[in-house]
Amino acid sequence: MLHITLEPISEMHLAYLNKRKCLIRSIGLILFLLLITETVSTAATEPDAAAETARASGEAVQEESAAEDDAWGEDGWEEDWEAPVVLADPLEPINRFFFHFNDRLYYWVLKPVATVYAGFIPEELQIGFRNFFDNLRTPAKAVSSLLQGNVRDSLHEVARFSLNSTAGIIGFGDFAKDVLDLRSSYEDLGQTFAHYGAGGGFYINWPFLGPSNFRDSLGLLGDSYLHPLFFLDAEWGVIIGAWSLDKVNYTALTLGDYELFTKTALDPYAAVKDAYLQYRKGLIENK
Amino acid sequence: MYNYIQKKSVMIVLLLASMFFSQAGVLASTNSEPMEQLQQSVNNILRILQSEELRVPGKQEERKQLVIEVVEKMFDFRQMARSSMGQHWNTITEEEQDKFVGLFKNLVEERYIGKIDSYNNQQVVYKKQLVKDGKALIYTDIVDKDLEIPIVYRLQEDNGKWLINDLKIENVSLIVNYRRDFDSIIRKEQFEGLVEKITKQLEKSETSN
Repeated sequence: MLHITLEPISEMHLAYLNKRKCLIRSIGLILFLLLITETVSTAATEPDAAAETARASGEAVQEESAAEDDAWGEDGWEEDWEAPVVLADPLEPINRFFFHFNDRLYYWVLKPVATVYAGFIPEELQIGFRNFFDNLRTPAKAVSSLLQGNVRDSLHEVARFSLNSTAGIIGFGDFAKDVLDLRSSYEDLGQTFAHYGAGGGFYINWPFLGPSNFRDSLGLLGDSYLHPLFFLDAEWGVIIGAWSLDKVNYTALTLGDYELFTKTALDPYAAVKDAYLQYRKGLIENK
Repeated sequence: MYNYIQKKSVMIVLLLASMFFSQAGVLASTNSEPMEQLQQSVNNILRILQSEELRVPGKQEERKQLVIEVVEKMFDFRQMARSSMGQHWNTITEEEQDKFVGLFKNLVEERYIGKIDSYNNQQVVYKKQLVKDGKALIYTDIVDKDLEIPIVYRLQEDNGKWLINDLKIENVSLIVNYRRDFDSIIRKEQFEGLVEKITKQLEKSETSN
């Protein structure tokens, strides 16, 4: 026998139920929109039946032919491989000073703290934290994708944010990637400016933040307004604490990489600057 | 498991495709699949890294030497050293060039093999290869700590053997990066300064290991 007792529903409980309903509805809506955009875009990229059969025999094959078209473009691939990236560095003396500062900061503070941290926190949890902080950056990514006219990627980010914040347990798991194979496009405002033709301006090596340039620094400022901690009006202490944890956690996951790179460079400042330029160029061109 | 099967099926499709093309006369020889060669070499390295025998503390150096042996057959270090020097290459004597190739090789090995001690069953995913006129690009991902790190290899054919002459990790080219780095030194301290710096750097990492 099932007993159903009817209790007077409190207002708080009602609000909670409403909230839940709202959440479930919005997730449903997002999944629906996603389905539509997926269908529309795949229909658009497959003009003939041959592509259809290619797709049936394995997605990787289709991916290959699509990417091949890009890489075998008229420009040639060899030249493209080493396309020059030049960026003015009028602030070099100051930049070098702060590069040295960050380097000391790494060896004296960040590395020891991250080493202890890595000893206590299991790797799975570190990955969880990385996902969590990455998830907080998703609103900014969604906006940048949209500003670059990429509605599909933008919707993917919205879906990633809502799914990972809920089913992914406030962003600790990457549910969207693991289950639905929804990957982040890693867009940001700096890339959006570049998309519309803005150059890097000049190189800036920020204390604490590291390598950047004029354009990307402006972008970073813009992106920060779309960070949940900012629009939830968190206190500065919380923001700095979260930033530090993010940094320590990231360092714990990549312990040794920085040392290896800078110790096998002859002028570490020049090597890091170039790596930043090449890395950003790749992101801007969505390679 | 599913992934493995998928990769296998992709490989089979690629194999079939290459057989078809070679029949059509597009590819000159059938045994020159660059991706296959790369895969073989990488598998050899993975076998060394996964070997339980070599994991004991005392065998670290032996392990490293075994890996270097395989690596030296995969890369065209002379071509890489030359390309990393850019226009400066032609301003030095042949003797200096030979000396530099050796130093450069050790430096690159230090940067890319330095991490093998922290090897922890990272997976390599071969995504695709592009081949044209004896040149090839191979796109791979290394899955490390749940993160996919894209690595693209650029290869050139040399008598049926495909040799790597550059690689890009997350879009950062090894050669371009070293060219900027070397250029920054050569401008101030000439070739002699560069040699001195590399020698010092290698000595330092030797003592720290």
